[in-house]
Amino acid sequence: MMLLRYAVSRIATMLLTLWVVSVLVFVIINLPPGDYLSNQIAELRATGQAEGVAKAEFLRTEYALDRPIWEQYLIWVGFAPGPQGFSGLIQGNFGWSFEFDRPVGEIVGDALWLTVLVNLAAVLFVYLVALPLGVLAAARSETWVDYTAGFVGYLGLATPNFLLALMLFYYGHKYFDLPIGGLMAPQFEGEPMSWAKVKSILVHLIVPTFVIGTSGAAAMMQRLRANMLDELSKPYVETAIAKGMKPSKMLRKYPLRMAFNPFVADIGNLLPAMVSGSVLVSVVLGLQTIGPYLLTALRSQDQFLAGFVLMFVAFLTLVGTMISDMLLVLLDPRIRMGNTRT
Amino acid sequence: MLDRSLLPRLPGLRLLTAALASTLLQFSGAAAQPPVAETPYWADEIDKGAMPPAADRIPQEPLVVDLVAKGRTTGVQGGKLRTLVGRSKDIRQMVVYGYARLVGYAPDYTLQPDLLRAVDVEDERKFTLHLRRGHRWSDGAPFTSADFEYWWKYITLNEEITPSGPPEWMIVDGKLGTVTFPDAHTVVFEWDTPNPGFLPLLAQARPPFIYRPAHYLRQFHLDFADPEDLFTLIEQERVKSWAALHNKVDNMYKFDNPDLPTLQPWTNVTGEDQNSRAIFVRNPYFHRIDSEGTQLPYIDTVEMGIVGGGLIAAKANAGEVDLQARGLDFRDVAILKKGEVDGGNYRVNLWANGTASQIAIYPNLNFADPVWREVMRDVRFRRALSLGIDRRMINRALYFGLANEGGMSALPQSPFYDPTDLDAWSTLDLDRANALLDDMGLTDRTPAGLRRLPDGRPMEFVVETAGERQEEENALAIITDTWRELGIRLIMRPLDRDILRNRIYAGLSMAGVWYGWDNGLPRAETDPQYVAPTQQEFFAWPMWGQYYQTMGELGEKPDYPPAERLLQLNWDWAHTDDPAKREGIWNEMLDIHADQQFAIGILNGAPQPVVVSRRLRNVPEEAVWAYDPGAHFGIHRMDEFYFADDPQQAAVE
Repeated sequence: MMLLRYAVSRIATMLLTLWVVSVLVFVIINLPPGDYLSNQIAELRATGQAEGVAKAEFLRTEYALDRPIWEQYLIWVGFAPGPQGFSGLIQGNFGWSFEFDRPVGEIVGDALWLTVLVNLAAVLFVYLVALPLGVLAAARSETWVDYTAGFVGYLGLATPNFLLALMLFYYGHKYFDLPIGGLMAPQFEGEPMSWAKVKSILVHLIVPTFVIGTSGAAAMMQRLRANMLDELSKPYVETAIAKGMKPSKMLRKYPLRMAFNPFVADIGNLLPAMVSGSVLVSVVLGLQTIGPYLLTALRSQDQFLAGFVLMFVAFLTLVGTMISDMLLVLLDPRIRMGNTRT
Repeated sequence: MLDRSLLPRLPGLRLLTAALASTLLQFSGAAAQPPVAETPYWADEIDKGAMPPAADRIPQEPLVVDLVAKGRTTGVQGGKLRTLVGRSKDIRQMVVYGYARLVGYAPDYTLQPDLLRAVDVEDERKFTLHLRRGHRWSDGAPFTSADFEYWWKYITLNEEITPSGPPEWMIVDGKLGTVTFPDAHTVVFEWDTPNPGFLPLLAQARPPFIYRPAHYLRQFHLDFADPEDLFTLIEQERVKSWAALHNKVDNMYKFDNPDLPTLQPWTNVTGEDQNSRAIFVRNPYFHRIDSEGTQLPYIDTVEMGIVGGGLIAAKANAGEVDLQARGLDFRDVAILKKGEVDGGNYRVNLWANGTASQIAIYPNLNFADPVWREVMRDVRFRRALSLGIDRRMINRALYFGLANEGGMSALPQSPFYDPTDLDAWSTLDLDRANALLDDMGLTDRTPAGLRRLPDGRPMEFVVETAGERQEEENALAIITDTWRELGIRLIMRPLDRDILRNRIYAGLSMAGVWYGWDNGLPRAETDPQYVAPTQQEFFAWPMWGQYYQTMGELGEKPDYPPAERLLQLNWDWAHTDDPAKREGIWNEMLDIHADQQFAIGILNGAPQPVVVSRRLRNVPEEAVWAYDPGAHFGIHRMDEFYFADDPQQAAVE
């Protein structure tokens, strides 16, 4: 019951936050001078291409870019009628992408599942690498295991992802015949799922997963090690060992569980990170995730596309924090909401 | 033989060519034209009866290309060409590469009829376009004057589709031209006064497509379609109005609608949900054939991969392209050459860039600061800046000395190329530059050795860049040192391209860096508008350009004698059709630019790497890489490239 009441109040604040975010997003996107179409027109003029200017002019009136900014905002969200009546975010119309000349909903829909796929693979990689290494480094702290793990971890953090990607592509192709860029062989795109297609995707995922994963793994490893060391120095550990408990069992049963707490809290960040986290890498590796779309949209002031993606990320962040808060309340009896109990 | 040049203006000659055309008409299909061979690629369709045989697909008067006369070899049909672009919207490059235009540039930059059989020109104000009989769209529907009529009456003059009204170029000296359609194969464009820019416009990389596939587009037009069907379509496509829908499907340039018939050598067959590549197959009704009767293009399919811009060089290195220049920079040459040696089965050609200058500095003569403006308007200052640039060092540092050093002028491939223009005020001479500045009275110096402006401020010359090209910034870094010896401090400020442009237009920017004129290859018939102060897009005179573009509503009236002279020359050019006079005008305009240093060019003809598969034939070793005029590969006629495995032939090349 208490949880339900908490959830309802959280949803109310969420809507309010979303509204504030929508205003901020729209204002910030429109801060640079000009808009997509006037830039487009200037570009066409500058290169002497008369054709196309008329089309851009047409789009400008069609999408109300000739109105003042506050009016554009209201039309975008769906509070005010546009040239063709009410049709905004609230009405389920996510707008038009000028850059890609397709409805925003279509672009985002296509890219979304690939984004999730890439990032899930990366998260999996992070957990598989970071957890054992972090625990090992803490348990054998100040030995060569610890130092090696630390060194590798720092290397992962310090190497720029795009550089790592290019290196892996070059040598991966040269020695292992790995494909360069993309998420599947081109002929599979738009095809129904098949064994060959799955295989192609898996092969294409190797380099991106490694690249996105390494820096994340390094950060997580260090955090886990620090948390573990904290726990390991506590009296209960000594007590357990003194009473003859096997170290490996002891480690699993108590300090590891304690050290895990921050990772549950991290679930909140996981969702938005899946969308925005790998923007740069996706751009460099030419993956068809949402990242490159967002970057192009921001650069070219393709405002409806950029606006929608940012709103979407904000929405995911809110949902994610809510989920993690609820989970923490359920999982860790020591955490209580301040005002519900005394 | 049908590849005639544009008809000359002399009436007698015009009659002669017309007579020639009618003779050809009688002979067409028989003696004048070789028998047309069947296309293996379409064998299945022809067997099934879904497509007529090749001889019936090409126009009755096809364009016969004499490859041997062009110094090329005749080839065979077949094969798949792989190339890459960096963004999904760049699939429109296929329209550029394909380069089927009503009239197009030949390799020597003369205009030739292409889709058209011929053009009659009267006093440069009446243009009669003759279509080829039996010419068809890629879906087999006839291509006739009705397609021009649809463009004119139902697109251009329809206020919902074109709210901005007819295009600027239809209006000459304030009056709208007329378009008439005497018969199915003739279209007449007519103005009261000469419109010499009309034909070059049609030959652009992005031309105004003054014809549209009417039979296809009618189903999206409110004047023709059933309103209910149209409404369902609008809902389906999630657009807002029928005009938006029409605009969405009508993309001759974007080339993203597979259903839209085309006249290009290859048609787009890519489904909508393809994000990583686009496929183009040969247009079965293409109008060009070689002299042995093989229908062009030689290559069956083109596969255009869409990858992140940074991966193009890596993929080329791995041998994953057959033809690639876009997305490759000079700095990629090292990795490309390495791949060539490592058995990449390709070769790297270096073509010359076609812009008038690879890097040019534009002092803003309309800068808002009155003191600076006065200084920059003094030609001695601009000459001193130009004399203070070590072009040799920049060339060596950035292009291994492979570019041509010199100011902004016509390129060697242009008839107006003049080495004196190239060298004018553009060789390093610090003494002379200092003398010019002293002569201006800028002798007062700060303790740090900088010259002072007349009002006492130190000379800090702020140059703004679009922040996109490393080479610009590297060049400016080199210039900083030599200008320091003139007592001028160069401050570089990278901005975003749009912000840079807006700042310059508003007069807020002291100087900008950009390419030189896009077209470094002017000919007598090239419109000289872009070298006269008529466009704000030329960063040296944004306000004067605005004044001209808005007919005096915005901007400032030019009040600088050389600029006024350029304006006058531009007017003169448009109001004469004497080729000799036009040559004179062009020469004078280019001389003025060289003398005045409105834009300080640094070097031109910078090398553009072009990766070509060893199996690909007919690709020139050396050529000019330019978007307009030339349409990148377009002017080199990509439809004439073909694949061959014969090593001997490779050796001959």
